[in-house]
Amino acid sequence: MMDEKQPTTETSVQAKKTSVHKMKVTYEERHGMGRKQKELIGSILKNTLLAILAVIWLIPILWLVVTAFSANPGISYTRFFPEKWTLANFKRVFFAPDSVLQYGRWFWNTLVIAVFSCAISTAFILMVSYAFSCMRFPARQGMISFSLILGMFPGVLSMIAVYFIMKSIGLTNSHIGMVVVYSAGSGLGYLIVKGFMDTIPASMREAARIEGANELQIFFRIMMPLCKPIVVYQIISAFLAPWSDFVFARLMLNSGISKDWTVAIGLYNMLDKTLIHNNFAAFCAGGLIISVPISVLFIIMQKYYVESVTSGSTKG
Amino acid sequence: MANWIKKKEESGRKKQKRGFGKGIKEYFADFVSSVKEGDWGTRASLLVMGSGFVARKQYVKGILITLVQILYLIIFAIYSVPYLSKFGTLGTVKMEQSFDPITMQQTTNDYDNSFLILIHSMISLFLLVVFVMYYIHNIKAAYKVEQDARAGRPVNSFRQDMKEMLGKNFHFSLLTLPTIGVIVMNILPILVLVAIAFTNYDQNHMPPAALFTWVGFENFKALISNGGMTITFGYAFWKVLSWTLVWAVLATFTNFIGGIVLAVLINSKGVKYPKMWRSLFVVAIAVPQFVTLILVRNFFRDDGIVNTLCANAGITDFFKSIGLLGANMNYIPFLTSKGWAKVMIVLINIWVGIPYQMLIATGVLMNAPLDQVESARIDGASKSQIFWKITIPYILVVQGPALITDFVRNINNFNVIYLLTQDVYTTTDQMLANSNAKEVDLLVTWLFRLTNEYYNYKMASVIGIIVFIICVAFTLVSYSRLMAGGREEDYQI
Repeated sequence: MMDEKQPTTETSVQAKKTSVHKMKVTYEERHGMGRKQKELIGSILKNTLLAILAVIWLIPILWLVVTAFSANPGISYTRFFPEKWTLANFKRVFFAPDSVLQYGRWFWNTLVIAVFSCAISTAFILMVSYAFSCMRFPARQGMISFSLILGMFPGVLSMIAVYFIMKSIGLTNSHIGMVVVYSAGSGLGYLIVKGFMDTIPASMREAARIEGANELQIFFRIMMPLCKPIVVYQIISAFLAPWSDFVFARLMLNSGISKDWTVAIGLYNMLDKTLIHNNFAAFCAGGLIISVPISVLFIIMQKYYVESVTSGSTKG
Repeated sequence: MANWIKKKEESGRKKQKRGFGKGIKEYFADFVSSVKEGDWGTRASLLVMGSGFVARKQYVKGILITLVQILYLIIFAIYSVPYLSKFGTLGTVKMEQSFDPITMQQTTNDYDNSFLILIHSMISLFLLVVFVMYYIHNIKAAYKVEQDARAGRPVNSFRQDMKEMLGKNFHFSLLTLPTIGVIVMNILPILVLVAIAFTNYDQNHMPPAALFTWVGFENFKALISNGGMTITFGYAFWKVLSWTLVWAVLATFTNFIGGIVLAVLINSKGVKYPKMWRSLFVVAIAVPQFVTLILVRNFFRDDGIVNTLCANAGITDFFKSIGLLGANMNYIPFLTSKGWAKVMIVLINIWVGIPYQMLIATGVLMNAPLDQVESARIDGASKSQIFWKITIPYILVVQGPALITDFVRNINNFNVIYLLTQDVYTTTDQMLANSNAKEVDLLVTWLFRLTNEYYNYKMASVIGIIVFIICVAFTLVSYSRLMAGGREEDYQI
């Protein structure tokens, strides 16, 4: 077919297409007529398997949702779905604080901590990333290596020492202390943003320098607009950290005074052994309320997350 | 390709090694030569740090630097000296309260607080090191300005210096605050942690009521030796350590393999709406862990809903008949007996971890080398051959190094263990209980409980150091890869 004499370009493409088509047909013929059915069965099997897995993965989430609407304040031992449905739990969580349950207060505390630590740590990370990615100075390589080694030290381990230091300056059980804990060391988490900045051609900054811009102007006028997506990622993930942190909050806010707690600590303490039979449905309502915004932010962030994890590894 | 990377790494390493030894030597040699060859102005900087700059008519800079020097000396005299003088003993005067009949009030003597002495001594030492480094740097800078002035090069005015902080020296402006933050939150705590491991700071030595002091390697000895029934740290340590490692291996591999399988399944031909499936799994991890894990642990309570369902469905009886449950048990102890709890924790961790791994594996699959797949297809490879011989090795090669990072993360996986077992699991092993450990504890959760509930800071610090050593041993393997992983020079043309 390909050897036909002097075909016009158009017909040659046509010819190629038909030849491919023909090959496909012969391939299918070679593998017998059951192929289509086989594929269909395979597809059904795969989709069913996925459906079963998805149900397993979503059962706890579903339980969270339905229990939040349960009229029974404690745990149901026999039924998955509540007997009677109500909105009372949400009402209680928001409008009826007691000595333990002060959800509105916790929410406000966490929000304030999250906003401040998000602002500080985003600023720190952008500053460090710019210095390491866009500037060249003698100590640079040494500082990068050192920060990588330091970053390997798991934060959970130094938490008791962090606690000591905070205690010695009187910042335990204080929200300023929590902001410091979440944001002070954040400069070490620059790898993802720096990786993004590394992909922006240096020639753009060079051109600006020739025009007479100083580094500060380049930082704000050139790099920030170009880095918008990664800045969004950074803001979201820095904002999420205090909402989902449990261990540092548990260590630092140990006074037992309910109005100091964050949502994580509050929800955990709500389910104390003696309280669980009164509070379980309210716990679910509270958990559901914060889960919705966090999930949305997480899903927005997710695609950057994948990129950040895989970007380093696709090379090599 | 691989050879090339190896070569690059090797040359990089050599450069670093040579650079380090030589760097330190040069650092001091420069200092000595600056003093030797400098004129009166530079030498006077040894005493009054700003004088070198004042001699070059950089008055503002000179005065500012001198002010810094004076400030530090004052801090050293009134803050550092009192603490550092007691650093050797960590305090000798115990707190005593006495009733003063004249003022009719309780008075407390001028006691020592070992804890504050320790912390503030560490901070003082750190400041001292920083100051000495700055002092040396200052002499060198003064000498450099002297050379500039002598050679007739223009010497910066203060205004020009300030301008450079936004230009050529912008990195100083950028890095100062983050560096201070990292010092306070990361470096200082590590130093304090190491120091406490060599003291007897525990429940019986709690400042301010009591003093603690240096004990050398006693705590390390206690952790690896066995002292009968009462001091059981040796016994507990090996048990917890082995479970930590078993857990880390199980958690890492189940998630790794499960994530790849799930990603391949979702991406495979014949699956409708892959995006929808992926989102369903992501929803499960988007909810904060402290919500889902506490929920799950109540799901599997001894009197919980799963147990009710299992009893109704006859599963409980079935387990009894095959010997997985004792004859007198009428529920399944999902999270309350040793064996069941360990299995359940690993299973629940699969639930937590697979969606993450699935996301990563999906990302890797999308970047799979299509040209190789294409050429294999042309060569007549079947689909399963392509899958097993190209796709899977590709994923393993790309994601393999991340396994080490995951492994270390799992050694420190506080959330899953703590949220599932705290207040639920109680140990029946008296020897473990004496050291406040449980069978399901990881080193980190043990450490946390020792600190948070039992105030046994000395042992917690020792455990922290041990975990750190373990983690470093594993991460050093991936270290060289991290260093080579930067892509800065490839893109910045």
